Amino acid sequence: MFKEIIIPIAIFAGLGLVFGIILAVASKIFSVKRDEKAEKIDDVLPHANCGACGYSGCAAYAEAIAKGEAKELNLCTVGGEPVAKHIGEIMGVDVVAKKRYVARVMCSGSNQYSKKKYAYHGTADCLSAARLSGGDKMCPNACIGLGSCVSVCKYHALSVIDGVAVVNPENCVACRACVDICPKNIIQMVPYDSNFWVCCVSAENGPMTREHCDTGCISCRLCVKACEYDAISINDFHATIDYNKCVSCGKCMAVCPRHIIHTKKS
Amino acid sequence: MKGNHDFIEQMKNGTITNNPIFVQLLGMCPTLAVTTSVKNAVGMGVAATAVLICSNVFISLVRKFIPKQVRIASFIVIISGFVTAVELMMKAYFYDLYASLGIFIPLIVVNCIILARAEAFASRNKVLPSAIDGLSMGLGFTFALIVVGSVREIIGNGTFLGYELFGSSYQPAIIFVLPAGAFLTLGFVIAVVQKIKNISADRAVAQESAIKEADKK
Amino acid sequence: MSISTVLIIMFTAIITENFIFSKFYGCCPFLGVSDKPSTALGMGMAVTFVMTLSNGVTWIIYHALLERFNLEYLKTVAFILVIAALVQFIEMFLRKFVPALYNALGIYLPLITTNCAVLSAALLDVQNEYNFITSICFGFAAALGFTLAIVVFAGVRARLDVADPPKAFKGFPLTLIAAGLLAMAFSGFSGINFS
Repeated sequence: MFKEIIIPIAIFAGLGLVFGIILAVASKIFSVKRDEKAEKIDDVLPHANCGACGYSGCAAYAEAIAKGEAKELNLCTVGGEPVAKHIGEIMGVDVVAKKRYVARVMCSGSNQYSKKKYAYHGTADCLSAARLSGGDKMCPNACIGLGSCVSVCKYHALSVIDGVAVVNPENCVACRACVDICPKNIIQMVPYDSNFWVCCVSAENGPMTREHCDTGCISCRLCVKACEYDAISINDFHATIDYNKCVSCGKCMAVCPRHIIHTKKS
Repeated sequence: MKGNHDFIEQMKNGTITNNPIFVQLLGMCPTLAVTTSVKNAVGMGVAATAVLICSNVFISLVRKFIPKQVRIASFIVIISGFVTAVELMMKAYFYDLYASLGIFIPLIVVNCIILARAEAFASRNKVLPSAIDGLSMGLGFTFALIVVGSVREIIGNGTFLGYELFGSSYQPAIIFVLPAGAFLTLGFVIAVVQKIKNISADRAVAQESAIKEADKK
Repeated sequence: MSISTVLIIMFTAIITENFIFSKFYGCCPFLGVSDKPSTALGMGMAVTFVMTLSNGVTWIIYHALLERFNLEYLKTVAFILVIAALVQFIEMFLRKFVPALYNALGIYLPLITTNCAVLSAALLDVQNEYNFITSICFGFAAALGFTLAIVVFAGVRARLDVADPPKAFKGFPLTLIAAGLLAMAFSGFSGINFS
């Protein structure tokens, strides 16, 4: 009877011992040395893993910086100035943060202004609605307003107000998740410091735009004539601002008959 | 006496407020697989409760001697020892139950509930509370199994614990004793549980605002 | 066993007796991890890797050790010991030699220890008396079935996220009902007969 108790105990104790030894040896052989600098940098990064720096995740960028392979040390737009400063401290160089950008949804076609082609009753998701001839608004470049960008934003910078998505620039960290997911490709990056932007990317000519929306840009060129800095021009039947030239004087907004140029203060 | 009060609180916690299946959503595998009849459900529930109590007690006894790195592995080995004991006991004394539960008896080892209670409770508390926790969680598990099993057996087979309920004119909806029916039944049962939770939450909010109104006046 | 028998066993494990929709092994991670198709694929890959290896190692332990000393009744303890150690070993191995895969699998690798599917595949090898090659093929095929189920379900869940059900059904109940409908679809394969 003792044999039947001793033998299993011995065998299983032996098995446990063997596995324990194998694992202990393996943990020595397979140990991975982690670069201390890479770990320090990784701690400082915001871990949004958004890819805006061009690397496949914060850990990858940290490794590249530590190895000296990263071309620029200020690529983290999510972290902005504080992170750039920390990275500079760790690497012992002066790092200046890049100019801060925020996302803007380039459409003002709220339920008040835009006309609809059909009544949509379906999944409350822009990607689904976009399949049905680009959404329910008549303008082909309109914001669908069902909030795919809202659900993908991890920083609570987006919300849908009256059928159109709006960015809160204070919360936006320029991770570009919304830019990538918008099925209409109407979210663009605009400098945080700029006070004005043309909130429309309608590629239809003036008469068509008038038919489809009460506020869309009709490329009347009044803003182009009013700008003294040559900063605004018409491309694809809508106005676009060149932020290298814009000085935020606001003359374009004052003359716009459609009130399509928005300002931060409105 | 404080001891008694804790005991009742713990029992209520395990069976209702923190029910492992309906609230914590652990232990799905056996819930879906063995609830084809109430008898199987009770058998599995009792077996799991026995393992849970024994493993909680044992782990609570040795909790100070287990090094941190091998914590989970040693918990699993301890649980598997008790599961083997329960399995052999069922094979000897309850053979038809053993045959109908089949492979799910040894699968009690990887039942999330037992590992979760060992990790969250037994490894940090004394023996008696751990035992009571095991008992309450096990009873909650059994209760949930019985609920799902009853629905499936009554609708899917027209019987309850083997007794014919509706007579020969009843055509049972066999889908309920098939795998698809397991998912559907559990989905609806949890929807009912969530509805009950929502109603009581709404009532609590309404009471709070009523009290606030009364305070203002 | 002939090749055709092995192929039939593999096909059965993937389609007609799918580990999740037919047998319920591996439900917990299936319901917990399947919210995004990319994480679902990662989990599937991890399970495939572990299950294939564990089936081989547990077969060896059972036939070379447990049977010789008449300790078949302790197979549960032995198998779970093997699986826990194997998962730990694979984690270390991948971290050193295939870091891309290790980062992709992330936290799912240690979770596989408590995955019902891995243990039940090992136990089924014993129950059905498969030989060594068949065990490994069975493990691989069963894990492929698991991956298929979990990836398909992740796609379904992406749609469920934006759906608008009654409040009591939001979240887990809706997921379960969707899984039930998928299980119904898979049960359509149950009529396939190879004899």
